[in-house]
Amino acid sequence: MARSDARRRAAIGLTIAAGVAALLGWLLLYWAADAAQQSAAERAARQRAAAFASIVERAGPAGNRIRAAVAAMGGGDPSVERVRVVLLLGRQLVASTAPEDTGARAAPRALEMPEKPIYDVAQELRAAVQTNREEGSPRKDEIHTVHLPSGGIAVTAPLQRGEDVVGMVQLEMAPQGHAHRPALLQAVAAWLLPVALFLLLSIPLGARPVPLLITAAALLVGAVVAQTGLAASHLGWDSRRTIEQSAQQLRELGERASRALAGLPAAEPEPGSEPGSEQPAAGFPELPSFDTSLGVPAESEAAAAPLDPVAWDVDRFRRPLGLLTRDGTPAPEALASAQGKAVRFGRRAAASTGALSLTLLLLVAMGTAEAAAGAVVRHRVAYLYVLPALLGMTLLVFFPFVYGITLSFTDSNLYNTNQSLGETWIGLKNYAEVLSGFHLVQKTDSGWSFDYGSFYWTLFFTIVWTVTNVAIGVSVGLVLALVLNTKGLALRPVYRVLLILPWAVPTYITALTWRGMFHQQFGVINQVLQIFGAPAISWYDKPLTSYLTALATNGWLSFPFMMVVSLGALQSIPAELYEAARVDGASRWDQFRAITLPSLKPALVPAVILSVVWTFNQFNVIYLVTAGEPGGATEILITKAYKIAFEKYRYGYAAAYSTVIFAILLAYGTLQNRLSRATEEIA
Amino acid sequence: MIRRTLVTLAFLVAFAVPAWAQKEIVVWHAYRGEEKVAFEKVVAAFNQASAGKGIKATTLAVPFDAFADKITAAVPRGKGPDVFIYAQDRLGGWIEAGNTVEPLDFFLDAPTKGRFLPTTMEAMTYGGSTYGLPLNFKVVTMIYNKKLVPAPPKTSTELVQVAKKLTDKGSGRFGLAYAYSDFYYHAALMNGFGGKVFDRSRNPTLNAPENVRSLEQLLKWQKTDGILPAEPSSALIKSLFNDGKAGIVFSGPWFLGEIAQGVDYGLAPLPLLVEAGNKPMRPWMTVEGMFIAAPSKNKEAAYELIKYVTDLQAARVLALEGRQTPANKSVYADPKVAADPVLKAFFEQVKVAIPMPNLAEMTMVWSPATTAMNTVVKGAAKPKAALDAAQAAVQADVARLRGKK
Repeated sequence: MARSDARRRAAIGLTIAAGVAALLGWLLLYWAADAAQQSAAERAARQRAAAFASIVERAGPAGNRIRAAVAAMGGGDPSVERVRVVLLLGRQLVASTAPEDTGARAAPRALEMPEKPIYDVAQELRAAVQTNREEGSPRKDEIHTVHLPSGGIAVTAPLQRGEDVVGMVQLEMAPQGHAHRPALLQAVAAWLLPVALFLLLSIPLGARPVPLLITAAALLVGAVVAQTGLAASHLGWDSRRTIEQSAQQLRELGERASRALAGLPAAEPEPGSEPGSEQPAAGFPELPSFDTSLGVPAESEAAAAPLDPVAWDVDRFRRPLGLLTRDGTPAPEALASAQGKAVRFGRRAAASTGALSLTLLLLVAMGTAEAAAGAVVRHRVAYLYVLPALLGMTLLVFFPFVYGITLSFTDSNLYNTNQSLGETWIGLKNYAEVLSGFHLVQKTDSGWSFDYGSFYWTLFFTIVWTVTNVAIGVSVGLVLALVLNTKGLALRPVYRVLLILPWAVPTYITALTWRGMFHQQFGVINQVLQIFGAPAISWYDKPLTSYLTALATNGWLSFPFMMVVSLGALQSIPAELYEAARVDGASRWDQFRAITLPSLKPALVPAVILSVVWTFNQFNVIYLVTAGEPGGATEILITKAYKIAFEKYRYGYAAAYSTVIFAILLAYGTLQNRLSRATEEIA
Repeated sequence: MIRRTLVTLAFLVAFAVPAWAQKEIVVWHAYRGEEKVAFEKVVAAFNQASAGKGIKATTLAVPFDAFADKITAAVPRGKGPDVFIYAQDRLGGWIEAGNTVEPLDFFLDAPTKGRFLPTTMEAMTYGGSTYGLPLNFKVVTMIYNKKLVPAPPKTSTELVQVAKKLTDKGSGRFGLAYAYSDFYYHAALMNGFGGKVFDRSRNPTLNAPENVRSLEQLLKWQKTDGILPAEPSSALIKSLFNDGKAGIVFSGPWFLGEIAQGVDYGLAPLPLLVEAGNKPMRPWMTVEGMFIAAPSKNKEAAYELIKYVTDLQAARVLALEGRQTPANKSVYADPKVAADPVLKAFFEQVKVAIPMPNLAEMTMVWSPATTAMNTVVKGAAKPKAALDAAQAAVQADVARLRGKK
């Protein structure tokens, strides 16, 4: 029975796995084709925007020439629905082919209030060009692309006169429709063929589980590779065709542009305007006159240079992409890179679909899935009770946790929050940066010194901090618990309350109070020292003294917890044990070592683990008492991570830092638990 | 029948339209006490004046500690106010994060721009675009004890002379007391020598020779002339001034509320720096501006509000009743305002003040700069070395943020 079970399970597993793989492969292909088409459409839009910008820059500054150029370029191009040219000076709409901008609203006119977003885009482009020039490397988009609800693309490019951005030209492209759905037949074949083959092959194999599994896995992998391989070649052909089409369109664009430039009329003054007169549009505040540098007609040096359509194929930072060669044919590099992209897509799709479906196959074929389902059904009431907590935990704990780890693989920071995670992916670079802080010791003018910014210094300090704090907390807490546990102690409840107080007062207040007590001039500690004739210490000047202040504060804060835990454990030790030991002649120290300590172990060890984790991450005390003084020497890992996230705005790097902290604590917790077997019962 | 329905519908629409046309603007601020009362008075006056246009503004006081974080979290998601009031130091960060503050270049015209002190307008500008209208400014100036210092010093040599006479370390008396190890206060000296934190291309210039020179000047005051106390915390300075043990303090309007009753104090502009060729000390000014939230649905109405609140009438109320120093320059010609010595003194000082940088990268500067100040002031490092270290740290952080390795 069991052996035909193996065959049944393998068959079912293969069906499910192959189905999932086929579906995923089909979806991935659809998605990739769509993405490729979108990016091709955006590229075409940017080419046109760059072309229009180039023409308008040469046609201007006379408004009628700009309008003529726009009409000539836009008229013959069915993919361009409307064109607007806006100048920053005077907030003018110089040219517009939009159907609503006719008659009284015809260009040239001042922009109206509802058109403010258009003007804001022009200003954004101006700031972007300036920022990219200042920083030396492109960071902000110089061509603004927006996907319209109708499906088309609105693309905006800046107009420049020399180095200054004087305006923008905006194009709205017609919607291009989505990619065709790939053939369903392929997917169905990829699903049913392996299953059929398996059923055939399993007859001679009999009912031995391992060969069956291997056959099923091999068939599955074969199907996945075949499907993704076909998809990749499909994509490759598509992209080659798109590039050739795009090259053709670019050539046509160049020809149309030269024709348009040749046919431009002579410059005429704008209707109803003389130099110096400013006519406010209806309901619009007076035009500004404070920025006269822009819009001053300079000799159009650009007009002298010949048109270069090759330079119009740009990315969003207006860097050339190299689609065409000088003689107008598609560059071999462009074709090769498109091919390479398709191949990479195929590999990634194969890897991910393969991994997922193989896991499914293994789970089902080896019986794990069946066993799990059986367990859920058997204990379904219990699982129902647990479900709300499971959901809550997933949302509040697991999801942020997984998101944080995902973030650590990206370069997310303040400047690129608008990019998706995929765009900012940098893999393990953050971890490499965190763990490579080897510049621990450096030579300065005053001799050798530690570099307090190094990860390893902070790690070393955090470990020292944790060990000393927990040691102090446990010993003080244990001693006080032993004292409080003596029989016949008067006023025991009073002492207990007083000794719990440090735990009850909020850490924030405690930390600030202690910081004040260590003030060099007015702090009570220094005043007491001075009473005894010792000089006042400037506590936050040296790493050691600064560390001592934080140690004192956290020691004061942490002993109540240990005391309470120890007290509870002490009170559960039966008194007869001590009686018996006394009768046997054991000294108090022997009693302590033989009876008290082992009985405390099951309570203390979990408390120590907890305390280690809490102290390792004790943000409040370090941040408020020493603030990392002097110069970051007393920072612990978590305060460093906080500063990286909120002062240096590097979210990805801070996430990596936090994940490293988590890994350290996880390793410690597991190790400690295993070594002490604390969670097991006393023999 | 149809006609009656149509007429009823028309009536309903006619009554409903004013309700639809009613634009509600929510304003967040962090004011308390008399500032809050004055501000709400101004907003009430605006509501009265704009009732005809159907604009109504409501204010909400949000605690200062949480204010900036609330704006960062709520506004980009469309859950925040239409207008909010905050200082310019977080402006760069909000603009880079996106969808938080609305650029006002489209609305702004020359007369509106001309009402303000040009430097306050600069504080509201980022990347060449204006993002808010300045409401008021705060700046560090010289506060002196009239009994100890009958005539305030006009130059740095006079300052040292006056301060030396008053200093007696043994009994804890000092001629000059200010938070000189705080980079914000030191900026007055640094800017006076022509130093700056970022240059025009937004690259950090912490170790520029002028900055080094300013630190050497500070050390001269501290070690050579010996007129400054050690470890100056705000608590120490306050207690020294109130006990009559400090003649001169460099601080801002926040200090005035902490001065004890019996101390007769005066305000004067910070002295000229003889060592810098008689140039004035230029403190940083913190400018509170009114910003329009980017997701707001009533931007024009919001602009009407902020234009009103920064106008002369409102500025007068905020100055006289709210004890603010408005950024509107014509309010200082008003006789009542001109008669107030405190407002007049801050206005004199702000004429030479420089707006604190509003760049996002500014947050990375504070920590290394404070370390540099601390090491120099405690004698643990020379000014040039300390500033070189700070510059290296800031440059590395800025380069990593901008994606350059």
